[in-house]
Amino acid sequence: MCRLFLLPLLLFAAPALAADGVAQILRQADAYRLPAESVRVETQVELYRNGVLDKERLYTVYVKPGRRSLVLMKSPAEMGQKVLMLADQFWLLMPESQRPLRITASQKLLGEASTGDIANMTWSEDYDGQVAGEVDCPLPPAEVVRMAEIAAAPAKPRRCLHLDLAAARNGVTYARLDLFLETATRLPVKADLFVNSGKRAKEAWYLARPYEGQLRIMSMVLLDDIQQGRRTLVRYRSLAAKAAPDEFFNPAALVRNSLAGW
Amino acid sequence: MRWIALLLLLIALPARAAEVTAVLRLSGQWDTENRASPYYVAPPTLPASPRNDREDLQLSLREGGFLAQGSLRGQLTAGRQPEPGGVIQQFHYDGELGGGWGYTVGKKLMSWGVGFGFKPLDVVQREDRRGLNPPPLVGVPLLALAHFTADTAWTLAWTRPGGGADARDSRDSRDEALALYGYRLAAGDDLHGVLRLSRRRGLEAGLGAARVVGEEWTFHAAALVAGRYRQRLNRLSEDGGTLAAADPMIEREFRRAARLVAGAQWTGPAGFSVLAEAWYDGEAYRRADWRRLDELTARQRAFDSLAPAAAIAGNAAWSSQAYLAPNLLRENLLLRVSYEDDGFQTYAELLATPRDGGGVVTLGASYAGNRQRFTMGLRQTGGAADSAYAQAPIKRAVWAEWRIALF
Repeated sequence: MCRLFLLPLLLFAAPALAADGVAQILRQADAYRLPAESVRVETQVELYRNGVLDKERLYTVYVKPGRRSLVLMKSPAEMGQKVLMLADQFWLLMPESQRPLRITASQKLLGEASTGDIANMTWSEDYDGQVAGEVDCPLPPAEVVRMAEIAAAPAKPRRCLHLDLAAARNGVTYARLDLFLETATRLPVKADLFVNSGKRAKEAWYLARPYEGQLRIMSMVLLDDIQQGRRTLVRYRSLAAKAAPDEFFNPAALVRNSLAGW
Repeated sequence: MRWIALLLLLIALPARAAEVTAVLRLSGQWDTENRASPYYVAPPTLPASPRNDREDLQLSLREGGFLAQGSLRGQLTAGRQPEPGGVIQQFHYDGELGGGWGYTVGKKLMSWGVGFGFKPLDVVQREDRRGLNPPPLVGVPLLALAHFTADTAWTLAWTRPGGGADARDSRDSRDEALALYGYRLAAGDDLHGVLRLSRRRGLEAGLGAARVVGEEWTFHAAALVAGRYRQRLNRLSEDGGTLAAADPMIEREFRRAARLVAGAQWTGPAGFSVLAEAWYDGEAYRRADWRRLDELTARQRAFDSLAPAAAIAGNAAWSSQAYLAPNLLRENLLLRVSYEDDGFQTYAELLATPRDGGGVVTLGASYAGNRQRFTMGLRQTGGAADSAYAQAPIKRAVWAEWRIALF
């Protein structure tokens, strides 16, 4: 009799347990990307077109819990531009007008490098899904090896968890991810990034190296499927635990210079 | 004073910890005159200026809360001497007092509220959106106290201190004022409010909001009421006279004016964007004001056999100052279609004045490279023959700009 009561309970509980498992796995993977919940990241982005360096951009990104990110553009051509993301709400500040403009998720995707690729550095707050299986870790193609100047293949083959993830919230840059994490360590290896239409937009490769005594994802290569021949190398030049005050994440505060000291 | 500040900026440039940028802008504009317009005035009464070149070297220095930004400018208009100059666009310090409080001292760009073609809540900065390829905005001298939380903001600003000694001064740019700006992020919507008190315009109060719906739509609206405003009118169109020996454009003060804007923008994932906006500027001419000015100008032109040509041309030139207003008519509609992809941007814009059937079309394209940006465009006025835009003294303008970020 007791078993009859337990069975439906188990049936209800099983998906919840699986979801908790994925959330835990994603938090472990996030830890390779961010050293703390609140961080300041100095990012260098190289945009390649048909193998030739087209543009170089520098960004300072402040990330805080609650899906808050602030991107300050630092390269000469974009100096003074800012993008603020509060969950699924976005604002853009152009230095010429000093007016914070409310923008949509679609407008955020326009421009040279998708701001979402630079500012969204965690999966656990944005995605949920399931473990689809365990596979041999995918090996980076030759152009990724060349761009990131890494070894073509690791010394011994690795096994990877294949996660099938869907956006859990509005305003997330990609609607679905196929994410590959090293099984033993949860180290991110590769992700296929799909937009709302179901089309694969980009293939992302995550490249780790020791940074301040910890193994961290210090670069990412994006192979664009929509704009053929378009490749992006994102290098994280520094990752520092830094909690900028909450009021700096206010859209009206974008006009102030105060963050320059942070 | 301007040159001392610019010199300080240049001296400070080598500071190693600061962010220093230099941007060179070279631009040219070629105008086609509308010789059929009653407001067109041929040389020598007004010099012909079919071509206008401008070179700006903009230098910026940012260190902590301090920002200095200035331009060395060379302006060359065909047939005139080159005009070198300099302008300090911004020179201010944003300080923090703790607990979310901050202050600003100096000259700063202070743009408030919402809107694309028209921004009623811009009671401090007053950006000119009608200008073709305008030079960089110049900030406003101010002292401001601000408070920020995660989702609210207040700014109290004393703008242009000492500038309002003469309430009869015809320029808003000298109007000393006390201005209060409030912002709140409420349930995902941006809410804006402004209050401004000045000798010239009395009390102005306005509200605005912006809302995002889904991943592709934004909606915005704003309204402002001013206690009083001034309008430049030709006194001859009121007193029945025909020709004046001195500038007949006078400022008349009126009570209460409203400014309203409402708009929507759709942006698709493929890079297309459509913006539609309607606005009402209660400080602009009515259709009847233009009719009176048109009738006066027609009467003056009919005097060509009785009065010296220079007197008729001079009067037309004075009347053509009506074209300097931010909006030619009170009711305006704007439709803008743009496409952006991989550094390329193109757009087509139609600004229509439905009361008189006039309009202006602007086509533009730009490409942004690693450090360079090239922009070019064309603007053409037209519409009903007796509309304000169709009678504008300049009927077509082509412009191009090359911009390079040096460091």
